Order: sequence, then structure tokens, then C-alpha cells
Amino acid sequence: MKRTYLGEFEEIVLLTVAVLDGQAYGVALTHEIIEQTGRSVRLNQIHAALQRLEDKGMVKSEMGEPTAERGGRRKRLFSVTAYGRRTLQEIQEVRASLWHRMPNPLNPAMSL
Amino acid sequence: MVFADAQERQIWVFTLNTMKHPPRFADQLLKFFCAPHRYEEVQGDLHEEFAYQVRQIGERRARWRYVWDVLGFIKPRAGWPFAIKREQQEFTSTPLLSTAMLRNYFRTAWRNLLKNRFYSLINITGLTAGLAIGILILLWVQDELSFDRFHRQSSAIYRLENRVGTGSSQQIWTTTVAPIATFAKREVPEVKDAVRTANNGGYTLFKYKNKVFNEEHSYYTDPTLFSVFDFNLIKGNPAKPFLDNNSIILTETTAKRYFGDENPIGKVLAANDKASFTVSGVIHDFPKNSSIQGDMFLPISLLFKNMYGTGKAGVNMDNDFAEFSYDTYLLLQPGASIGKLATKLRNIHLRNKPDDTDLTYLLQALPDMHLHKADGTDGGIETVSMFSIIALLILVIACINYVNLSTARSLLRSKEVSMRKIVGAARAQLFLQFLVETALLFSLAAILAIGLMYVLLPTYNTLSGKKLVLDFSNYQIWLVIGLTITGTLLLSSIYPAVLLSSFEPLKALKGKVSACISEASFRKVLVVIQFAVSVILMAGTFIISNQLQYIRSKELGYDKAHVFAFFMRDMGKHYDAVKAELLAQPGVTGVTRANSNIVQIGRQTGDNDWDGKEQGETMMMRPLAIDKDFIPFFKMKLQQGTNFTGSVSDSLHFILNETAVKAARIKNPIGKRFRLWKHNGTIVGVVKDFHFASMRQKIEPSVFYYAPNDMNGIYIKTTGNDVDRAVAVAQRSWKQYNADYPFEYFFLDDLFNNLYKSEQQTGILFTLFASIAILISCLGLFGLASYTAQVRTREIGVRKVLGASVSGIIQLLAKDFVKLVMIAIVIAVPIAWYTMSQWLQGFAYRIEVQWWMFAMAGLLSLAIALLTVSFQSIKAALMNPVKSLRSE
Repeated sequence: MKRTYLGEFEEIVLLTVAVLDGQAYGVALTHEIIEQTGRSVRLNQIHAALQRLEDKGMVKSEMGEPTAERGGRRKRLFSVTAYGRRTLQEIQEVRASLWHRMPNPLNPAMSL
Repeated sequence: MVFADAQERQIWVFTLNTMKHPPRFADQLLKFFCAPHRYEEVQGDLHEEFAYQVRQIGERRARWRYVWDVLGFIKPRAGWPFAIKREQQEFTSTPLLSTAMLRNYFRTAWRNLLKNRFYSLINITGLTAGLAIGILILLWVQDELSFDRFHRQSSAIYRLENRVGTGSSQQIWTTTVAPIATFAKREVPEVKDAVRTANNGGYTLFKYKNKVFNEEHSYYTDPTLFSVFDFNLIKGNPAKPFLDNNSIILTETTAKRYFGDENPIGKVLAANDKASFTVSGVIHDFPKNSSIQGDMFLPISLLFKNMYGTGKAGVNMDNDFAEFSYDTYLLLQPGASIGKLATKLRNIHLRNKPDDTDLTYLLQALPDMHLHKADGTDGGIETVSMFSIIALLILVIACINYVNLSTARSLLRSKEVSMRKIVGAARAQLFLQFLVETALLFSLAAILAIGLMYVLLPTYNTLSGKKLVLDFSNYQIWLVIGLTITGTLLLSSIYPAVLLSSFEPLKALKGKVSACISEASFRKVLVVIQFAVSVILMAGTFIISNQLQYIRSKELGYDKAHVFAFFMRDMGKHYDAVKAELLAQPGVTGVTRANSNIVQIGRQTGDNDWDGKEQGETMMMRPLAIDKDFIPFFKMKLQQGTNFTGSVSDSLHFILNETAVKAARIKNPIGKRFRLWKHNGTIVGVVKDFHFASMRQKIEPSVFYYAPNDMNGIYIKTTGNDVDRAVAVAQRSWKQYNADYPFEYFFLDDLFNNLYKSEQQTGILFTLFASIAILISCLGLFGLASYTAQVRTREIGVRKVLGASVSGIIQLLAKDFVKLVMIAIVIAVPIAWYTMSQWLQGFAYRIEVQWWMFAMAGLLSLAIALLTVSFQSIKAALMNPVKSLRSE
């Protein structure tokens, strides 16, 4: 497979960056992920994941405006690159086709 | 950060002030670990999160959470050290260590060395002397500390001791009874194994074919000696070192002495013409740093067989709790409690011999034996720590010289430093340059020092009584040398390097680096330290030599001049004839005999009784059997009563010394009852106290008794002129009665001097080290003084032109240094006073510390300093001002 490997956590971070649409930065991402997935996430994990994603070219970043809460420090705003977007789509497609080929789709009600 | 306008800025300031602030130390931590290019957003995020958490869970918990979050960022993990990777720097800077620059540093350093030959010479001489002496002392220290630590189980081996006696006569014996070891091994679970050794006095003359030697270092021992300690057999059966009672084990050297290159195992040695021993094993020679030494070993079971085998009904090796003559070592289980063990041993002893109520057991760790006294207090360790401190002081003095000279002369280097900075040298590079320079000088000094050590070592060994060798295959020697050199190098390189690399180029080029005040005063502090150390050492030297003088000249209470002595062996049976023959010789003024050595009476007993002795009281005393002419022979004084007359009734008469009378609290002692062992008799005289041990010890109770059959030590007094003749006659009669045995005599004077051998050595070494320290200090002072004179050449020229006198100029130059030395004296005196008083505490008989000793040390160091400084000052003052002024 040619596509860069994307870890499960990285995928969630990347998706959340896409969801937040241009307003994604460390704290916002952390809170959003905690809210949506219910898992406990720490700031440093988000930062590390973002940096990995940036190294892989899936997100790009620019400095935003400072706010008072941040003691006048700027935030780094992340957005998904075209490459990142395509990767997400590919993942989605692979999964969809796999689901599609399942002879007995796992229906929540039936799987009981 | 950029603000849109002033109003917004106002809001910032306002909110910042009212906002809760996260813990600052956590911020510091983050700043340290975080990659700089990511720092802003990470910290921003953290602060935002903090503000959010303050609202959610309150400030106190939010602060904890903040720290936790920061720690998350510095948690190292595989591939992601410190959470966020550092960005590569955009511009590559010149590496600190490029070979080209290093070569340049070495070249400049070398040129500098050559350019300033005078100062280089002073520096190298000082450092070489300091390093050589410092390392020699530290090698000595290391050797002393290594004693008995080479055994694999050394930390689990203890020597068994007894504390005996009550009141002032209480003391510690390092030898114990034999059965305690057997009982301990059998009954006490903490004791894994036990080793006993005992002196062998029974067999002394050993013979193989035509080789005969008188063995002085032979011992009886348990076979466990060769398994508990690391004295393993190199030949023989380790499982059974002694095959039977007539086996013997030799050291390699001893075996070689008898058998040459033949295999010693199975060879037979004849002993004293009455027994023969078969060699059953050979061990390595004992290491020099072992407290246990010996040449040959016989099975201890043989001793027991000889002692108990024949008669003495009922007494055997398992119940003789009265014979305290065995060195006992116990190998303990790990974690055994020493205190409990001692109690258990005491209980065993009391069970077997209930009347020894005054006896307790002590255990001393094997590695402590060499440097501590039997009761665990400081012994040789005192000298060891004293010498280590001296070594460090000498090294520090040598370092101070270097630091002082190089910082003083830094002015001359300021232009070079400035040029280097202007063409782009970083401070770190300059720092490195000066480090290299110091290292170069140090390596030269170190090489010379090692050479010097080689030359000095034989002399040093004679002085210190050691057998040190510079064996460079021994890693410990490298350790000592390496640590010393690196330590001193660091000590003396950092400050000058920091100082020299700190010059600001513009100021320096304008010539404005007048030696700033703080730096000059730092130098003064160092000079003061140097001289304080010198004064302390000098005062120490005075006090030690005075004390030694005092010991040697103190009235001993007996006259030992020109007396020689020896033990008569079989000659003793013909004492009267021998005595008559000796007295007939010219030059022999007296002959007497006793059963022990008067310079150091070895025996001791507590088996005595008198009227008024309290229940449970024990008075340990030194018994000495003497002939009737012993007291007049040694010119001792009887305080009261009479001497022995030589009659039969004298065997029940005793003469006590004053201390014994005092300790026993006997009033009007003459005629009072006194019992020694089984002899119940009366006191007929009291002899004035005399010193029969080292002056470190107080005079102990002692008793003279009369036992003509037990006086085998002969004392012969000569006029001092015909000594050789008297010795020759004594030797002739020795040969007549003792045949093969070698004739060994000693002079009491020599024996007496031997008592103080270690003190003498300490004294000599101390003097030596003190002189070296002073010498090195003076070298430094000399360098500083010449530098000052050099810098002030023109000033002196101008002063002379304006009419200053030579003495005025000398005063001007010397004044500063003299002031420093005076301060040093003031600091040194109390320290010296205190430490030397402590040292003197070790002597029961000692001198008082006198003020003049310090005054003398102070004056002497002042004089030496003045001499050093004035040499340069006079030279400067006598210079022709025309020359010095024209040179501009």
C-alpha cells in the first residue's frame, strides 16, 4: 500500500481537525475529542499527534491571534491538507467496501 | 507579541494582573525542555487549558493538573524525546572542537609557554612538586585504607575481643580463650565459621638437610584460616590443609628458603631436634596490606595435644576458659547483630566460668583492625585523615599558584582575547582555548611529577616505613594519579578560563581592563589561604617535634642507658656462672635478670587479691619477676619499704608500684596482705612509678615478684665504651649453652626508640610536607611579586627620579604582601591551636601548647615571605630609572 500509514488515534485527530474546520488547535482539539469519544486525552498526546501528522503532510498550520486566556500567546491553527483529505477518503472507501462485502452485515439487533 | 493598539494593550495588562497564574516552576521546566519553535503555542495551549480547568475544578486542583500536563510534555518516549522534536538549526555553526582550531590552541599555548619562560618555570615547578608530593601522600593513604579489604568475605569477618577489668584498670584484650570459638560455632547460628591462631613458641628452629632457620613468625592455626580468609592453598588439599598433627603449611617464600625449586609437598622439616613436620600445603605470601602475617603454620590441635594431652587433670581444649592467648576471628552470617552476638558469647563464657563477671565480648570488623584501636576508637585513621588533608592542601596550594599567576597576568592576554573575539570567536571557544593551555602545562607537570615520584619513592619508603611501588599495572595507582590530576586541573583551569574569556573587546583594546577590584581581591584571598595553610603546617611541625622531644627526654623512672638484653634459653640454668664471667669483663658494670621486658611489659593479670578489695572489682596489673639486684641495677627508687633480699621467703613478698597502691587504695602498704595468682604473701616495698609502655598510655598498676626459676631475660649494663667486647662474651656463652640457636640481643635504647617509631615517622613526614607546602607557596608569591614589580617598573622609575629612596620603594612593594601574610597568621593560629590540641590528646603525657610556638611559626612564615618578596622588590628598586623610563 502506497498510502502513509495512519494510526487510529492520528485518524481521530485528523478527522477532528477536519470537523473543526480551520479553528483546530491543541486545547480545542483535546476538548472536542474528549467530548466525542469519551476517552481521556492529554494535551501532549494531541500535540505529538499533530506534529506527526504535519510531518506526514496531512495537516498544515499557521499562527493565529493571541487571546487573554493564553496570556497573550498565539495559537497554532491546523487545517487538513489536500493529501490529508484524500487519505481520509481512502480510509473511508476501504472501510465502506469491506463493509459492503460482508455476507452477514453485523446488524446491531441481529448480532444479539 | 504585536498589539493592535494601545487600548488593547491596556486590556492585556489588566487581564494578566487579575488572572490566576499557573505554577511558575512548571513554566520554567517547560521552557527548558520544549523545542523553542513550538514553545509559544504549547505554553499558550497549556495556559488556556489551565484557565478552563480553574473554572471547572477550582484553582488548587487546576494547578496540580497544570504540573501534570507540563510533565506530559517532557516525558521521554521512544522516537519522541521530550514530546516535541527540536527543529534543526538553519545555520550550521562552527563546531566547538575543530581540529584546526585545536591545533591553533596548542600552538598559541606552546608559544605562550616559551615566551614567558620565567612564569612557566615557576608554574611547572610548583605544580610538579605539588603533584608529586600530593600523589605520593595519597598513595600512602590508599595503601593504608586498603588493609584487610582484599578478602572476598572481609565485610563478614570480625575479630573477637574481650573487655576486662573494672574501674581505671579496665582494658581490652585482643586475644581470647580457645573454647569460645568452638562453642560459638556449635551453638550460635550467626557464626558461620571461626579461626583461631596462636603464637608458636615451642618449635622455633627448623631444619631441612643442611638448611637451618630460626623461625620467628610461625603460628598454630585452625585449618579454617585457609578458607575463611583468602589465604588459599596453592599446593595441597584445600579440603584438608593439615593431614595430621605433624603437618605444616608454608608460604611460598618460606618453602623456597628450605627447598629451593623442589616441590615442597611431602618434604620433612625437623624442628628443635625433637619433632618433625611434613609439608602438606603451600600458600601465597601474605599481601603487604594484610594484618595477618606469618611464614609457617602448624595445626592448632597439636598445641592442644601438647598443652592438655599429658597431665593437668580435667583441663582440656573445651573447658579451659582461663588461657587468653588466641587470636579469634569469626565469620558471620550476613545481617547478624553484633551486639546480640556479643551478649550470647558472654553468656556462654559465664556459663563455663561464672567468676569472670567483669568480662564482656566485643567484635571488631576485620577492615577496621588496621586503622582503629581495639575498642573501635581512632587509631591510625587519625594519621591517615591528617595526611589526606595535607595532601589536598598541598595540591590546593599548587593550584592557587597557577590561578594567581595566570589571572594576574591576564592583562597581557586581553588584547589577544579581544582580537579573537572581534574576528568571531565565541566565548566557549576562548574558554576551551585557555582550558587547553592549562591542560598542556598540567600534562608537562604531570609527566615531570611521575618522574620525580620515581626518584623520590625509595626515600619516601624509608621515611614512611612503607613498601610502595609504582606498579603501573595496578589500576588503583592510575585511579589515584588520574583523579588527582583531573581534580587539580579542573580546580585551576576554570576560573582563569572564565576570567580571560570574559574580556569585552572594545574596552580591552582601549586598554581599560584595569584589574577589576573583585578579581584582585580574589587573588588576595587565595594568597591568604596559601599562607594560612603554611602557618598551620609549620605550627604543627613545631608542636609535633616538641612533643617527641618531650617523650624522649621525660624521666622514665629507670636508667636504660647502655643496657643490652636477651632471652637466655638454656643458658638460664647456668645464670650464676654466666653472670660471674660477664662481670669479670672490663666495661660491664652490672648484670641482672627478669622474666619480661622492662621497656614494654607484655603480660597482664587480674588474678590478685588484697584486704579491702571490693566484690566484683578487678585490678589488671603487669607482673614482673625480678632478681634482687634488679631495682638498683635500673636505679629505680623505692618510695618505701625494702627490696628483695634473695631469701626463700621472698617468693611470698611483693613490691608494688605507686599506681597499684593507689588503685588498690591500700593505706600504709608495707606488711599488708597481697595475693598474686596462688601466692598469698605480703607487700614489702613500693617502687616509684616508672614507664614500662609508650607515653601514649598512662602508667598502669604493676607488681614485682621474686621467682628465681622464671627469670630468663638477662640485662647487661656496660659503661658504653666496651660494648662490643661485652656482647662478644655474651655471645660466646650463648653458643656454649644454646648451640644452633642464633644469638639475638637488643639494646634497651633501640627498643625504646622503636616504641615511638610511628610517631617519629609522622613527625619527619609532617616536617617534610610542611616545607614543601611553604616552598610552593613561596614560589607563587615570588611569581606574583615579580609580576607586580614588572607592572610597576615605570612607576618606580618616576618615583626614583622624583627622589624616592630604595628602602621606600621596597616598602611600597612589600607592604601589600606582608599585610596578606599577617591576615593569614591571624586565621591560621586558632585552627592550628585546635587541631594540635586534638592530636596531643592522644598522649597520656604531653606538652602544653604554648603561644610562642605559633608566634614562631608566624614569624618564620613572615620572614620567608618577606625574603621572597624583597628579592624582587630590591631588584626593581635598584633598577636605573633612565632605562625603565626610556623603554616606553
